[in-house]
Amino acid sequence: MQPHPAEDLESLMAAYQQADRTAAEALIERLSPQLHRFFMAQVVSRRYADDLLQETWLRIHEARHTYRPGEPVLPWIYAIARHVRVDSYRKVRRTESREQQVDVLPEAPPHGTGSQPGPDLDALLRVLPESQREVIVMLKVSEMTIEQVAQATSSSVGSVKQKAHRAYRKLREVLENMGFGDRGRRSTE
Amino acid sequence: MTPEQIDRVLAESARRSPPQEVDAAVVERAKASLASSLEPVRPLRSSRVFLTILFIISAAVAVLGAVVFGVRGLPVLSAIQRAVIFPMLIAAAAVAGIASVREMRPAAGRRIGSLALALSILVPLAAFAFLFRSYDPGNFVPDGVKCLTAGLACAIPAAIIAALVLRRGFVLDWPAAGIAAGTLAGLAGIGMLELHCPILKAPHIMVWHVAVVWISGLGGWLAGWMVQTAKRRSG
Repeated sequence: MQPHPAEDLESLMAAYQQADRTAAEALIERLSPQLHRFFMAQVVSRRYADDLLQETWLRIHEARHTYRPGEPVLPWIYAIARHVRVDSYRKVRRTESREQQVDVLPEAPPHGTGSQPGPDLDALLRVLPESQREVIVMLKVSEMTIEQVAQATSSSVGSVKQKAHRAYRKLREVLENMGFGDRGRRSTE
Repeated sequence: MTPEQIDRVLAESARRSPPQEVDAAVVERAKASLASSLEPVRPLRSSRVFLTILFIISAAVAVLGAVVFGVRGLPVLSAIQRAVIFPMLIAAAAVAGIASVREMRPAAGRRIGSLALALSILVPLAAFAFLFRSYDPGNFVPDGVKCLTAGLACAIPAAIIAALVLRRGFVLDWPAAGIAAGTLAGLAGIGMLELHCPILKAPHIMVWHVAVVWISGLGGWLAGWMVQTAKRRSG
């Protein structure tokens, strides 16, 4: 496949609306990994995340006329992805329990091993309730701004800040129990 | 730990556990399914255009309904009553219109359909309680049922037209869209009643006229829920 000359997501999306096949393929290549990670942070099974990713691209295709050229692409994409996940969750919730509320803390890495400075991200995020987890994934993994996360989740900036604040409080508790507080203090001293 | 230290741990963890490679077959399937129906699309018009369309539809239905049923209410309203009621209904319709338009596009903004419904009930109730001082019940039920029927007779076509407009977008949450469009349609119904109904008794207006809005809003939610359920079953 020839790489598409457009660099930014907004130009790729505008070209995709004009039926530019290479732009559509470039968007899929560029965004699939982060969408997959978004789903993997919420669900347990990789196969299920694959299905959600596939479904998300179908919905994006169906809804592509509702993207307004020039506007940020990520909130629009994540709003659809989030809806696909919620929709699918509702479908399967009677048969499968998807919410993995982790009461057991992620394992702490052995102290003093410089090459293993942090816990596994997905395990760490699973400590958080779903609504806080998705906010942290969008902010820290997809590197969206608070305003973009608010757009993607159809909520207010204040609500996103509150969720992030609560998530950080929980993460602080977990990380300090794992001994990261001491390490953090040591590193800042 | 400070938020910055937590950020560092998160960043280190993300670096240490990069996203699993997406299955190439999944990516290829996505590309193939998009390519098979790739046609140019015209981006949806701006929210202002749709807001104007919805507003004109609501106003037109209210005025046409009043013409059909008879404009007997407007002449008996005082100048203060007219100056408060109609701008209030226009403002409520603007909020309900914005709520409806936001449902047409993903990431279009905070969802305010329920807020629009609550405002469209509570603000008119307060205004009517302030403006109408006669608490004589009169023929409370027979007159009320006539007004409710006439109001809903206007709200239903307004809701159907609003739903057709909403369908041009890509509604993610049909029940929420239903509440917003139902509220807007209910406001068209109550607008028609204020033009048509000559009864100036507070209980009549506060119960039967306002009922058009909440019945229409809840009806919109129910219709939206049915559409969503049908879509999930077919999908």
